[in-house]
Amino acid sequence: MLEALGQLTGTANNIFVLSPMIFLFLFSLVPITMKVLNGNKEPSLLFSFHLPVVGACLALIATILISMINAAKDQVQVLYSNSLVVDGISTWTTVTIIIVLIFSLLMSRESLALYGRQFSEYVFLLFNSVVGMIVVAWSNDLVLTFIGIEVMSLCLYIMIALSRETNLSKEAALKYFVLGSFASAVFLYGIAFVYGTLGSTYLSEITPVAKEMISTSRMFLVGVVLIIIGLGFKVSVFPFHSWTPDVYHGSPTALTSFMATGVKVATFATFLRFMLTEALIGERAETMLVAMQWLAVLTMLAGNIAAIMQDNLKRMLAYSSIAHSGYLLVGLIAASTEDGQIAGSTGLIFYGVTYALVTVGSFGLVSLFETRVDKQVMVDDLKGLGSQQPYMALALTILMLSLAGIPPTVGFFGKLFIFSSALDQGFVWLVIWGVINSVISVYYYLRPVVTMYMQEGESVIERKAANTKFVVVFSSVMVIFLGLFANGLYEIARRSVESLF
Amino acid sequence: MLDHLLTWLIFLPLIYGLIAWFSPENLVRPISLALSSIHFLLSLLILTQYDPSTPALQLADKMSWVPQFGINYHVAVDGISLWLVILSTFLVPVMVLGSWTAIQTKTRAFHMSLFFLQTTMVGTFLAIDSILFYIFFEASLIPMYFMVGIWGGARRIYATLKFFIYTMVGSVFMLLAIIFLIYQCKEQLGFMSASILDFYKLELPFVAGTIFSTQTALMVGFALAFGIKVPMFPVHTWLPDAHVEAPTPGSVILAGVMLKMGTYGFLRFVLPMFPDAVSYWGWLFLFLGAVGIVYGALVAMVQPDIKKLVAYSSVSHMGYVIIGLFALNEYGITGGLYQMLNHGISTGALFFLVGMIYERTHSREIAQYGGLAPVAPIFTILFIIVTMSSIAVPMTNGFVGEFLILMGTYLTSPAFAIIAVTGVVLGAAYMLWMVKRVFFGAEGEIVTKYKASGLDVNRREIAVMTPMVILIFWMGLFPNHFLKYSKVSIAHLVETKTSYQLSVMDNPGRSMESVAQVEE
Repeated sequence: MLEALGQLTGTANNIFVLSPMIFLFLFSLVPITMKVLNGNKEPSLLFSFHLPVVGACLALIATILISMINAAKDQVQVLYSNSLVVDGISTWTTVTIIIVLIFSLLMSRESLALYGRQFSEYVFLLFNSVVGMIVVAWSNDLVLTFIGIEVMSLCLYIMIALSRETNLSKEAALKYFVLGSFASAVFLYGIAFVYGTLGSTYLSEITPVAKEMISTSRMFLVGVVLIIIGLGFKVSVFPFHSWTPDVYHGSPTALTSFMATGVKVATFATFLRFMLTEALIGERAETMLVAMQWLAVLTMLAGNIAAIMQDNLKRMLAYSSIAHSGYLLVGLIAASTEDGQIAGSTGLIFYGVTYALVTVGSFGLVSLFETRVDKQVMVDDLKGLGSQQPYMALALTILMLSLAGIPPTVGFFGKLFIFSSALDQGFVWLVIWGVINSVISVYYYLRPVVTMYMQEGESVIERKAANTKFVVVFSSVMVIFLGLFANGLYEIARRSVESLF
Repeated sequence: MLDHLLTWLIFLPLIYGLIAWFSPENLVRPISLALSSIHFLLSLLILTQYDPSTPALQLADKMSWVPQFGINYHVAVDGISLWLVILSTFLVPVMVLGSWTAIQTKTRAFHMSLFFLQTTMVGTFLAIDSILFYIFFEASLIPMYFMVGIWGGARRIYATLKFFIYTMVGSVFMLLAIIFLIYQCKEQLGFMSASILDFYKLELPFVAGTIFSTQTALMVGFALAFGIKVPMFPVHTWLPDAHVEAPTPGSVILAGVMLKMGTYGFLRFVLPMFPDAVSYWGWLFLFLGAVGIVYGALVAMVQPDIKKLVAYSSVSHMGYVIIGLFALNEYGITGGLYQMLNHGISTGALFFLVGMIYERTHSREIAQYGGLAPVAPIFTILFIIVTMSSIAVPMTNGFVGEFLILMGTYLTSPAFAIIAVTGVVLGAAYMLWMVKRVFFGAEGEIVTKYKASGLDVNRREIAVMTPMVILIFWMGLFPNHFLKYSKVSIAHLVETKTSYQLSVMDNPGRSMESVAQVEE
């Protein structure tokens, strides 16, 4: 079958390569169509939940097939006059995003804030947001990237507002909408500058001249800076991070887990593509690279120090996700240099995948404690979980240790690969800041563990929520498994990155 | 089994841990005792396989792990790690027996942590790959963290967090240094490797007088990690807290084995890899070690709490190990290695004894005791024997270690040897003063209160102490029984200071080549 699919050409091939998006879009229509046919009443679970899960699985399989064919033929596919590119970065990101989608769909079904009168609309938006993310990750054209970001974000704004919780979610939606639109505008402005100087928005056309342009054209530099700011906003890089805690906190937890991972992975993919144009290599770009390093350091510090002070578990994880943007930025900086492209990109992809896995699991655990729509899960709510429900406590412990980067979890290898790629490029101080930050982060990642095992209490998970529990257990098992077999994942990531160069 | 003896030694405890977790609550102690005793016997098999006539690493097991970075699963044993491995397998059954009544809650989880800790300890001593070493070194924090945090005293959460974060601060810098060395391998040897053996081959530039030369900076990275773990003088403050709050078996394993990870690291990484930096900056380590000896002793003297006194005596004793290692001659290093084992035995035994009396009276305050000797004669005898070992009276193990260390230090720098000797006197002073106040004199209030319920040790506790006492005298009277296994390795380290290399013999059993060497 692989061979047959590999033989496809022309339109048939285009359709095949686009099939992940097509599957997602078609299956996103199922619930709302059924709702309309049903007289505006929620359709049965079969249509609003099971079929969409099947659709997502189909999309996942299709992506894996595409990546296998690409790997077998050692090719990078380019579609629609160069505007979409299907390479290692694309397929990796897509697989990660779709897995995250499936997980968060499983959790949404059990979320008190999401499952209700408007679940069909929610599923529709969720799927289309993923389509947007895939476009972002695949796009070779800055304008298309912009469209992808908008599709992704607009769906997210509405999904947050759909929550049945009345105060925080509305505030979060509005805040995200206003700030997100502002960031998109900055991004668009940057594209305009780049187009103005180069006459093209295609990354593949920017690449050959970027190195030279950055030192000669001030306009181009401004454009690059604005694009970096716009993307930095989306992945919550300091000083553009302040929306993150409120938005993550206000959103329904199942959705937060999706935003904290999907958006970040997709945006970092396009960020990486932009950096691989070598726009930051050259004399004048040196300053930019230094500035980026400071942004990375400050992002880590801002996230970690603020997270120490949080008593609300979800807010703590929100700040921790800011810190992880900082670590990802370290990998990105390594990838922006001339020799570090392969190692940096591989480290970044590896870290992104593992971060997504761990974060989904930890937010899933938070959602297990949400017995009411407006329930705030505090760290103290975990008191005594270690003796009441040892396996769930163990799962959370593993996830926290992985976020902190302590061996033998996969989080350790993520940090190892990212830091070593940066160290190889001579960013010694950046890496020293990075490891200092991972020490700081240990303090707050161990707090839930302390509370669970070392303080007396009667905390139990009352919710049945079998799907969410599955997600939590699955991700914590994978954290250990991938930790032991880190080389496999790294090797696959490296091979798919190497195909780019 | 013999084929992969070391791998079994590392990973079997994981299985034991799971067995302990799934065994019934009332049987978990006997099961753990049996498993850990078998494991100890298994570890003795190394002695039958080990060839002491060569400094080479032996019984190696190697498997590719992350080839992109040259990271392998690579374990092997040599004269430096041999006894530390056996020490860690020896202490676990003793500890299971010693915690029989002390640990009353969550016993299954406790034994599981104990076994997991054993895996990481043995792994740390056997790892020949730096990343593997780092992983075990770092992972050992997790079970210890739970041990102090769950079964510890009143301020356990503060103590365990402090312990975790302090240790982590040091070790992340070690990780940086390791990554740097991996890339150095790529530059100098042409391939990425995380193997310690390849690190030995690197030529690292050294400039005297600045800490920003490559070799010195790397040494600082490693020394920070190991210095905090040991702990050396200015970064020792986590240790008293952790010791006082830890449950008795936790203290025993912390003092007995985990501190040795630091000194072992010095011996395995710092001395052979950075010879120029070490010989230039050696005075600093000697100084810090000597300060640690005197400072630890002085602070121990004024402690009102027995356990805290023993904890500070650890700081003092580990100071000896440090000056012994940095004397950089055969006497000093041999003494340092021997003192590591002694400290594991004698301080471990002291913590057991303190725990035994604490279980009966729930007090560790010296002022409340007094006149314990007539009430608890056997306990007193045991305590005094261990005290003698701790203050290095001849015929006990402590004497051999301290004597070698002082001899080695005197050869290198007499000044530090003289400072260290005052530590011997101070050590005798604080220990004997404590013994006097606790065991002799007027009967203390707490002794009167609990006299009726029986304060002397029971048979189980005698069984715990017997192997310790036997070892104290055995190691004191026949040091050569132990040192003959390490002699060649240490001599090799001293002789080839700047060009230290280790080869690997992938025996099980003595290979024909080495047998031939012995015959020559």
